[in-house]
Amino acid sequence: MTAPTVEKAPTPAPDRPVRTARQLRREAERDVVPHAMRGTRGGRVVRGVLLTLAALATIFPFYAMVVLSLKPSAAVDFPGSLLPWPLTGEAYDTVMGAQDVPRWLLNTLVYSIVSVVGVLLLASLAGYAFAKKRFPGREAMFWSFLSMVMVPYHVTMIPTFAMIAKLGGVDTYWGLIVPTLANAQAVFLMRQFIQGLPDELFEAARLDGCSEWQVFRRIVLPLLKPILATLGVFVFLWHWNDFLWPLVIGQSTDMRTLTVGIASLQQQNVPLNVVLSGSVIAFVPIFAAYLVGQRYFTEGVTASGIKG
Amino acid sequence: MAVVADHTRRRTRRGPQARREARIGLLFVLPCFLLFLAFRFGPGVAGVLMSFTDYTLTGGGKFIGVDNFTRLWADPLFWQALKVTVLYTVLAVPGTLIASVALALLTRRAFRGSKVFRSVFFLPVVTSLVLAATVFVWIFSTGGPWATFVSWFGMSDESWLSSDTLVVPALAVVGVWSRFGYGMLILLARMQDIPRELEEAALTDGAGPWQRFRHIVLPQLRPALFFLAVIETTASFQVFDAVYTMTGGGPANASYTLVFQLYDAGFKYFDLGYASAIGVALFVLTLVVAVMQRLVIGKDQ
Repeated sequence: MTAPTVEKAPTPAPDRPVRTARQLRREAERDVVPHAMRGTRGGRVVRGVLLTLAALATIFPFYAMVVLSLKPSAAVDFPGSLLPWPLTGEAYDTVMGAQDVPRWLLNTLVYSIVSVVGVLLLASLAGYAFAKKRFPGREAMFWSFLSMVMVPYHVTMIPTFAMIAKLGGVDTYWGLIVPTLANAQAVFLMRQFIQGLPDELFEAARLDGCSEWQVFRRIVLPLLKPILATLGVFVFLWHWNDFLWPLVIGQSTDMRTLTVGIASLQQQNVPLNVVLSGSVIAFVPIFAAYLVGQRYFTEGVTASGIKG
Repeated sequence: MAVVADHTRRRTRRGPQARREARIGLLFVLPCFLLFLAFRFGPGVAGVLMSFTDYTLTGGGKFIGVDNFTRLWADPLFWQALKVTVLYTVLAVPGTLIASVALALLTRRAFRGSKVFRSVFFLPVVTSLVLAATVFVWIFSTGGPWATFVSWFGMSDESWLSSDTLVVPALAVVGVWSRFGYGMLILLARMQDIPRELEEAALTDGAGPWQRFRHIVLPQLRPALFFLAVIETTASFQVFDAVYTMTGGGPANASYTLVFQLYDAGFKYFDLGYASAIGVALFVLTLVVAVMQRLVIGKDQ
């Protein structure tokens, strides 16, 4: 047999230009908008300019917060102090040393993490029961959850505070955390999600001899991963940023959370750079998490509909 | 085989099986429900009842009828707080909705960098208003960035936070900044659902961008806008964090809001009955506005 007439050309290495072209084509396919609907070239330029201006205005407070926190305390003039030099970390030394920021950071972490774990556990258990179990009082209980949606939190806060005060929970972690654990929105989201899971899975595990707790632990919980992540981020954010409840329950300096502590610095004529360095310390964890898991932030906040 | 298994399952399901399921269901739901009863439902009911008592932290609790409400009605501070709260809402809610719609339209089509823009616009939503407030105090200071910006339009460069007419608009600017990204995302999600054929048909009929927006996109966004209007109004009525941090209700109570008054009554004077009455007023206000919005914006549905 003769050799193949055409020597197979070496396949071009899938180098960058080739991939980019394909990606571009795919992108174009995905966004099949008639050319005229994309607007004129001038229109696109205007859009670019408007978006850039809006983005700069949105970013500006963050930029100012970081740069001013790295300035000496006297530098508050505008626009001079916005220049990114010279920078000094002296405000951070002050805020971590002389102020109680490390303690407030610890309080905020305890409040946020314990609450996330508690809310997720309680809400997934309750959501599973509401979605898949029949028990007496199910409808009444569900309606009682639903009935409180329209009632402002501030109405319930006063009697809750009176009760916690009677029980000696002012200035304690449990007084801060326990009243926030039963989160109706989390229960709704869990119930909705679990209703979409097929019964056969649980049934099969049960026939295999799993106890109810094992079914929940080994079958239900793993399936809940996506909603746990979304809800977890939302609950964490809500607690991290929460203000009014920690403000009323944490009355001593030692029991403040970061938001409450920073608001108190703001009111005590502490120099601007020191207050802002506290703000940066409180913001950086949220920002880092936002960069990594942005999808969960947008899903979490939009699914639950409310910011803390 | 299968038939037998099916048969046995169905038979056992009624008696002991159903009772077992009920027991398990209760066991799973009760931890959450009892906490909810103790710290949300119970206090919700108690909050309304408390508004008819002279409850304070040290004692009291006697039923005094509507005394708290007549006192509230005669309290000039309450009317001031109501005025400030309504003014804030009237400025912040439309501002937020307009900014949300505008930026949703601008970032609607995928283009290079559109995702980055969306993430930037959403960043304030995840940021605590207390933290933001610490830098906004500087932004609004005399001769600061905001004062310089408005002086380009011929306004004086005084601090908006120390002016009793401009302090609420300043707070509304902060409110819009912190909330528009949320509305933008909700509207973007709705815009994905608008049938493309509708807009294409309008395009072939020669409709310009404004007409396409006005007659095709906007009607489709109506339910989402209604939802946002309710959410944003409710949140605006409860404005507190930024006010507490930036102005403390001042100058001369010019930014004193309803929740601020509730906070002062309850946690500064420990006049819990009176604070509850303010809470009930807030509740009623929220309900009235929700019904009004339903009637006005939602009348077509």
